[in-house]
Order: sequence, then structure tokens, then C-alpha cells
Amino acid sequence: MTNETDAPDLSVLARPPQVLNNRGPRWVTDAVCSIVESKTPLWWYAAITLSGTFAAIGGACILYMIVTGVGVWGSNSPCFWAWDITNFIFWVSMAHAGSLISALLFLTRQKWSLSISRAAEAMTVFAIVCAGVYPAIHIGRVWFVWFLFPVPNSYGMWPNFSSPLLWDVFAVTSYLTVSSLFWFAGMVPDLAVLRDRATTKIRKFCYGIFSLGWLGTTRQWRHYEMMYVLLAGLTSVLVVTVTTIVASDCATSVVPGWHATIFPFYFMVGAVYSGSAAVLTLLIPLRVVYPQLKDLITPSQLDKVCKLLLMMGSCVAYVYVMELFNAWYSANTFERGAFWERFNGSCAWYAITCLSINLTIPQLFWFKAVRRCLPLVFILAILCNVGMWFERFMIVTSTLTHDFLPSSWGNFHPTIVDILTATGTLGIFFTLFLLFIRFVPIMSMNELKAALPGTQPTFAHNSTGEGH
Amino acid sequence: MSHYLPVAGCKDEPLYAIGARFESPDALVHAVETLRKNGYSSYECFTPYPLHGLPEAMRLKKSILSFLVLGGGITAVLIALSMELIPSTLIYPLIVDGKPLNLSALPQYIPITVALTLMIGAITAVAGMILLGGMPRLNNPMFAWDLFCAESYRGFFLAVEANDRKFSAASLKELLHDLGGHEITAIHQEAPEGR
Repeated sequence: MTNETDAPDLSVLARPPQVLNNRGPRWVTDAVCSIVESKTPLWWYAAITLSGTFAAIGGACILYMIVTGVGVWGSNSPCFWAWDITNFIFWVSMAHAGSLISALLFLTRQKWSLSISRAAEAMTVFAIVCAGVYPAIHIGRVWFVWFLFPVPNSYGMWPNFSSPLLWDVFAVTSYLTVSSLFWFAGMVPDLAVLRDRATTKIRKFCYGIFSLGWLGTTRQWRHYEMMYVLLAGLTSVLVVTVTTIVASDCATSVVPGWHATIFPFYFMVGAVYSGSAAVLTLLIPLRVVYPQLKDLITPSQLDKVCKLLLMMGSCVAYVYVMELFNAWYSANTFERGAFWERFNGSCAWYAITCLSINLTIPQLFWFKAVRRCLPLVFILAILCNVGMWFERFMIVTSTLTHDFLPSSWGNFHPTIVDILTATGTLGIFFTLFLLFIRFVPIMSMNELKAALPGTQPTFAHNSTGEGH
Repeated sequence: MSHYLPVAGCKDEPLYAIGARFESPDALVHAVETLRKNGYSSYECFTPYPLHGLPEAMRLKKSILSFLVLGGGITAVLIALSMELIPSTLIYPLIVDGKPLNLSALPQYIPITVALTLMIGAITAVAGMILLGGMPRLNNPMFAWDLFCAESYRGFFLAVEANDRKFSAASLKELLHDLGGHEITAIHQEAPEGR
């Protein structure tokens, strides 16, 4: 028989607190709302001027491309897809970790993700916007973009529904729609908080419109919680299908180096890897500029994102090795040739940059000291995304420039328009993210408050068990 | 009888509800259970975040949203398949590489079907949440109560509506007070603009 002193110390098993320093619900509301309600800081104007300038230059380049033709890009024969599709895949992939963090971790009741899920969802939506810039313009004659949609027309012409390129149109459209809805609908109760706290008429009006008349009645919460679970479920499925479809763009072709069944998995793990890195890149500076967030975005949560990055980075490493193994094991001359050219041809430096970053950087996250040193994590996370961009570039460009016939091999050099359009999408992304920080609650206050200790009825725990 | 109570809104307009603020989630859930036992049925709670056990205390049924989304999803499957199959097999058959258009071609229509099903399912979920929650709504009688407007993001409020069968301002005032309600207020509708 054991008495109390012999009982094992269970405190080591306790989950790290959701919010540090025993902050209560009122503090959480004030901390999150104060970002929107306080005076616009100077750095914000500086940052949005910079990102807005890049976005405007990118927009001008797109306009120039439309009125002149795709010849202003470096795309050529045989490299018909170049930075357009590289950047499309890069952005759409980055979007995935946001959905994964908010939806899949919500479904699995991983409460540590509550305070970062809103920002991760915002990242998703803005990354899809950046990805969406390319598919429409890369077709060249932008005014024919409606050919992509099944619109009854006087030509009696319909799209080819068995083409992965058309699947892509539907996948990206539905991904943008669903993730925007998930993001917005989750925000409605928090927008109502800003409406109630608004001090000026304009703010009250704007937040009043966007909060749709939310009152927080029990009926509204009941439907809201059901909706959140449903959307989380739908989004989790969507994350997997969208990457699979984007990967099918490459995998269903016969080009050596693309025609592989591992591609959907390849794109999926790469997506979550780059997206986790992007989450870290965005959240670590956010904690610095808004010190009150240090109790909400805790080192323990960032540590878990680092572990996610490590896991996905290791999967990416596995895929690289497996791809090489398969090329050798297939005994297919063209497949072997494609990979030989990838590391020895004129495009070798893309592959070498990609592999040297993606095989090493995430492995540093095995060490707790690295995961806890946030400035280092920030730099490593940026490097991971650089590595991932090179991966997309390698997959798209070095494959296309080295197909079956050596006589049709070519090379790709980006033009200034390519480069400025790419930096333009970065500008669009950061402009949108800065607007997000300034005008909407960057954290799901209602979810956080509901999960704080002592905010739920004490006797409800026995009757309802683990709730939302 | 509501003149015993502080009044929100316009006194000459009809009474909408009697509202009270509670200090803690426990007090609110207890108040709801007592009200229900006393036969009240038209009341509403307002909380800054979802409270576990409150819908059960109010005897609310499970949200029907999941069924609506299922319906939306099934509709989407039918729409997507007919959108793909009617043009591809009947109106504008595209034969690529001599591949057949019979049932063996079905897998190639799945990706778009999945994407559309998820999209329409999500739209149904959000539209359903908004409409079932009585939104979008530009105004609400509760907004006549200044305290509610200012504090609803952090307080726990209860309003018993005047159309309840058992409604009586005097007895409600006493009951809500005994249950721990503060700032018990008679909420009247606001005067229409221009009067």
C-alpha cells in the first residue's frame, strides 16, 4: 500500500501552460486587441511602404508581361515552365502548413496551436493569393483565362476535365475559398469584440459590418463550434488533395524526373516543411515588436513548430534519397540520366543549394539549444524556405531542360521581369500580412479564453468531458 | 412593472427583455438551470467564449449544421460529376490517346469532384453558421443596453425575453437577484429614428 509521499511526481507530465504568467481572459483580450487599437507604430509604415513598393513593382511587371507577351520572361523551349510555376508551387506549398496547424492540430485537440493558428491561417490565405497570381498570367493570353472554367460558350468548346492542369484550377480555387472562409468565420466572434471596444464611429461601423451582428448567444456558439469542427475536417482533407493535385501536374506527365508516384508525398511533406518555416519566420519577429505576445506565443509552442519542421524536413530528406535510389533502381536510362544531369549539368547548382540546405538545416533542430535560441531559429527558418524555393526551382527547371533528347536540351536564365515579379509576390504577401496585423485580431481570443484554466464552469467537466 | 428596474432603451417602446449580468460561468449555468426548472423557456445567454455545459443546461439540441453540410456535400458531388461527365462524354467528347470514355475513365473525374465537394461543403458550413445564428443582423434590441454593448466581450449576460409565457418583471427581478445577477435591467426597444 502506498501512501501519499510515495506517489510519483506527476507534475512532469503536465502540459506547458497555454498562456504564461497565469494571465486571465481579460488580459488576453487586452493584449490582443491592443495591437489593433493602439496608435500605428512607425515601423509599420516603414514596412508597408517597402513591401508595398515591391508589390507595386511586381504588379507593373505583370502588366508589362500582359501587354508585351510571355517573351519578357526567361521561359523558353524546352523550359516552358520556369519561375511562374516554381513560384506557384512554392507559394501554394507554403500555404499548407497554415491549414495543417490550424485544422489538423485543432481536430487532434493539440491546444498548443491555439494562439498561433489565426496567424498561420492568415499566412495560408495570403500565400494562396500570391500563388494565384501565376496560373492566370502564365497562360500568356490572359484574356482567354475563362477557357479554364467550364463556361458554356458560342464555340461549343469545353475544358479537358481529365487534365491535371484543370484539376489545379479547381483545387486552387477551392483551397482559396475554403481557407478564406475558415479564416474569416473563425474571426467573427473576435471582430465582434473589436466592435464592442471600438471608440470611433468608423471602427464601430466597419467591425460591426464584418462581425455580422455576432452577440455570443449560446445558440450562436453551438453552431459556431460545429462549423469550426466541420471546416477543420474539410480543410484537413483539402490540404492533402490540393498538394496531391499540384504534384499531379508533374507526376502525370512522362518527363523523366517528374513521372514518379512519390510526388504527392514529396510535395506534401515539402509543403508542411516550408510552411512551418514560414510560420516561424513570421511569428518570431511578431513577438519582438509586440512584447505582450511573449506570454501568448510561448517558447514551448515555437519549440513544437520546430519539431514539426524537423519531422517534415526529415521526410523531405527521405524523399530526396528515395528519388535517387528509385532512379538508379529503375534501371531506366532516361530516369538515371535525368538525375545525373540534375547534379552534373548546367543546373547543378540549384540541386546542390537545395540539398545542402534541406538535408542539413532542419537536422539542427534535433538540439534543444538550437530550438530555444529564437534568433537562430528565425535565420534557420528563412534558410529552410530558401532551400525549398530551390527545390521547386530544381524540380521544375532542371527537369524540363533535360528530357529524353539531348538535342532538345536547353537552359534557363531568369530575366529582370521574372525576378521583379517574384519579389512582387513577396511584397504582396508581406503587405497583406502587415494589414492583417494592424486591422484584425491576430489570435483567436475566444478559443484561447475558452481553454484557459478556470474559465469554464467547474461542474461541467464531469458531465461533458473534454469539450472544445 | 418594469419601472422598478433601471431601464435601457426607450421607456415608451415595448419591453424586450430583462437582462442581468453574472459574475462567473458557474453562476450563469446555475441561473439557467434554475430558470428552466421554474418553467422559463424564452431566454438567451451571452458569453464571450463558448461555455462547456451551458448548451446542455439550456437543453439545446445538437446543431443541425453537420446534416446541412452533408446535404451540401452530396449536392456538390452530383453537380461536379454532371458538370464533368455531361460535356466530356456527351457534348464535347475529348478523346486523348484513344483512352476510353466509359466507366474506367471515372478516376480522372475524382480530383475535381473532391475539390468542389470540399468547397461547397465549407460554403454550406459558414452560410449555415451565419443563418442559423440569426445573422447577418445590423441591429439587435440588446444593443439598447449600454452596459451589454460595452461589456459583452468579457461579461456573462442573461436575458429573459418578454414574450416568455411565465414572464413577470417583478418575480424575475427577485429570482435573478437571488441567483447572483447584477445590474438587472429592463431592456426596452429603441425609439425608431426620426421620432
